[in-house]
Amino acid sequence: MEYVNPEGLRLDGRRFNEMRQIVAEIGVVSKADGSAVFEMGNTKVIAAVYGPREIQNKSLQKNNDHALVLCEYSMAHFSTGDRRRQKNDRRSTELSLVIRQTMEACILTELMPHSQIDIFLQVLQADGGTRSACINAATLALADAGIPMRDLAVSCSAGYLNSTPLLDLNYVEDSAGGADVTVGVLPKLDKVTLLQMDAKLPMETFETVFALATEGCKAIAERIREVLEENTKQLEYRRAA
Amino acid sequence: MVGISLGEQHFIKGGIAQDLRTDGRKRLTYRPIYVETGVIAHANGSARVKIGGTDVIASVKAEIGRPSSLQPDKGKVAVFIDCSPTAEPTFGGRGGEELSSELALALQRCLLGGKSGAGAGINLSSLLIKEGKVCWDLYIDGLVISSDGNLLDALGAAIKAALTNTAIPKVNVSAEMADDEQPEIDISDEEYLQFDTSSVPVIVTLTKVGTHYIVDATAEEESQMSSAVSISVNRVGHICGLTKRGGSGLDPSVILDMISVAKHVTETLMNKLDSDISAAEAREEES
Amino acid sequence: MAAKPGAATPTYSPKLVGRSRLPIFKDSDLDWTRPDGRGFHQCRPALLQTGAVSSASGSAYAEFGNTKVIVSVFGPRESKKAMTYSDVGRLNCNVSYTTFASSTLGQGTDHKEYSSMLHQALEGVIIMETFPKTTVDVFALVLESGGSDLSVLISCASLALADAGIMMYDLITAVSVSCIGKSLMIDPVTEEEGCEDGSFMMTCMPSRYEITQLTITGEWTTPNINEAMQLCLDACSKLGEIMRDCLKQSTSASDE
Repeated sequence: MEYVNPEGLRLDGRRFNEMRQIVAEIGVVSKADGSAVFEMGNTKVIAAVYGPREIQNKSLQKNNDHALVLCEYSMAHFSTGDRRRQKNDRRSTELSLVIRQTMEACILTELMPHSQIDIFLQVLQADGGTRSACINAATLALADAGIPMRDLAVSCSAGYLNSTPLLDLNYVEDSAGGADVTVGVLPKLDKVTLLQMDAKLPMETFETVFALATEGCKAIAERIREVLEENTKQLEYRRAA
Repeated sequence: MVGISLGEQHFIKGGIAQDLRTDGRKRLTYRPIYVETGVIAHANGSARVKIGGTDVIASVKAEIGRPSSLQPDKGKVAVFIDCSPTAEPTFGGRGGEELSSELALALQRCLLGGKSGAGAGINLSSLLIKEGKVCWDLYIDGLVISSDGNLLDALGAAIKAALTNTAIPKVNVSAEMADDEQPEIDISDEEYLQFDTSSVPVIVTLTKVGTHYIVDATAEEESQMSSAVSISVNRVGHICGLTKRGGSGLDPSVILDMISVAKHVTETLMNKLDSDISAAEAREEES
Repeated sequence: MAAKPGAATPTYSPKLVGRSRLPIFKDSDLDWTRPDGRGFHQCRPALLQTGAVSSASGSAYAEFGNTKVIVSVFGPRESKKAMTYSDVGRLNCNVSYTTFASSTLGQGTDHKEYSSMLHQALEGVIIMETFPKTTVDVFALVLESGGSDLSVLISCASLALADAGIMMYDLITAVSVSCIGKSLMIDPVTEEEGCEDGSFMMTCMPSRYEITQLTITGEWTTPNINEAMQLCLDACSKLGEIMRDCLKQSTSASDE
């Protein structure tokens, strides 16, 4: 199947290095300490952050001097084309763990000892790149909650089909069987916090795809920064008025 | 979540007794309702409803299935509700299951009517394609994103809006096959049938706090309730379902009074919802 | 066992007495004959016995026509370690069906919610403050399902709780009414429930004249609801009397 036609256009009309449209909004769940909606094309994720708050389950606390970060990833029944979501299946558990590790690395947990930060992710629509959308939504929600972080953790995915590296795969391109590289970076610090890949790639190709994904991350970071600045301006305007 | 102090409890109860609630509403006033349809791209119909701080999404998916042997001339409808942990940290893991099944049961009761199908909000016979062999299975999924009281009303409104937004593809049954074989069906991509939702009821929850009832309670007010009655009334004014929640007993005359209050509130609510839903659909078509 | 041999099983059929206007549904409007030949406002004979399970704190057996139910109550006993401290007692209900309970094997999913509905009916009537930090377990088993299962379960559970000595505000009784076409019939059997147009199940505390749980499905008009409610209240108070007699008999039998 042809994922990139001879003119260089993909199935949805994008070029190889074009991302899908991003829509991000802060403060959607009024009860949560911080929340955000993040859309990448048709993938839509809501993140809600509750915390820092008192530790609920003392047995989970390993290190008294650091905050405990907990994460739960769930997909709605209607999020995928066929309605088959079982709660607590292996993929959800794996993704919860991966996202938790990524966010834990960027939150300054030593500033909040004896407390717990809960990050809840709810996928409303899944169309490829849910991992990345979740990390980006969680970053926005944590910023909305005012939790101190080292940097904004952003994530993007890239793949390799028809001998072309492609940025930001959607579901159809992801299920094509080619490689899928998900990268999470801290843009200002220029560090990688998450790197996952399915299938196999030769080394040079991997470096090209990895570089493309990192470029995508930087673009998302710009966008997230814009959204946060806009939000701050709104708050300032309301306070002044 | 922080608990409510004794002073706050008195404030809430006293305010309700004087027809002035904490957010300034009267006892029988709803919070502003916001309806948006077509939010889930690959569902047959979907809607998002926000009542104050409560935010729910409902989606309707139709799949081809086999009618049950007990009722071969009707399609099937199943309602599932999921309480997302984003609404309440206690819903994480298995915490929200009990509330989800209670809500799903109450909604199923309101929408599907009696066992014989009389009084159902959804006409199950319209889901039939070929008697005894092929029918549409409707899966109605509700997701609670943010919870600030009155979940049942919001879910009921969302399901009504989602059903109005539902388009089921036309099916052509090809040539007659022998009785025991599955007939071949051809699902058309082009033509769609809009679902008839004029008989889908609206759910109104009346919460009794002290000696008065309020409509559309917030989470704070619900924590002070002695009992709550959720009544589903359809357009004609008949009761389609009633569920009483909460431990304390109610005098029968109180229940009858609640039913008449609910009918009165439903008239205004039904009209408002209908106009909101058509406005939302118009907005969706423009974009 | 408390039943005196030779005594007729009492029944709790209500009567719409003292009403100046005629009831909406007359027996003459027969578009439905009841399979067991009862009148529309006639309930099945109620057989209730306490002390059915000797190892439980309290238990009761109820046989209403073909619906046979046994409920045993354990407690108050220590809460599991996993549960957090609570200064009111906890109630845990579980309803299960035997595999031979209904004529078709493996009944539908209706019965999963009976546990939570039984819990809702009982939690309003038990005085939880009298047994803090402990749990009362109510286990109900339906031996044969002949219609109105949940109502029989609730009445039987309340009898078992009384037998166990758990403090309650009042005994609770439950009655259900089915609407088929234009007729209301009380205490429906399985065939009637299968093709009913609407169902009305009410749980009430007879002495306090309060309704603790009410569930209505199907389409009802307010006059129908009114009539159904009157029927149920009358039947509930009569059933309450029968339950009290049963408890008195069992205590006098143990005194002897």
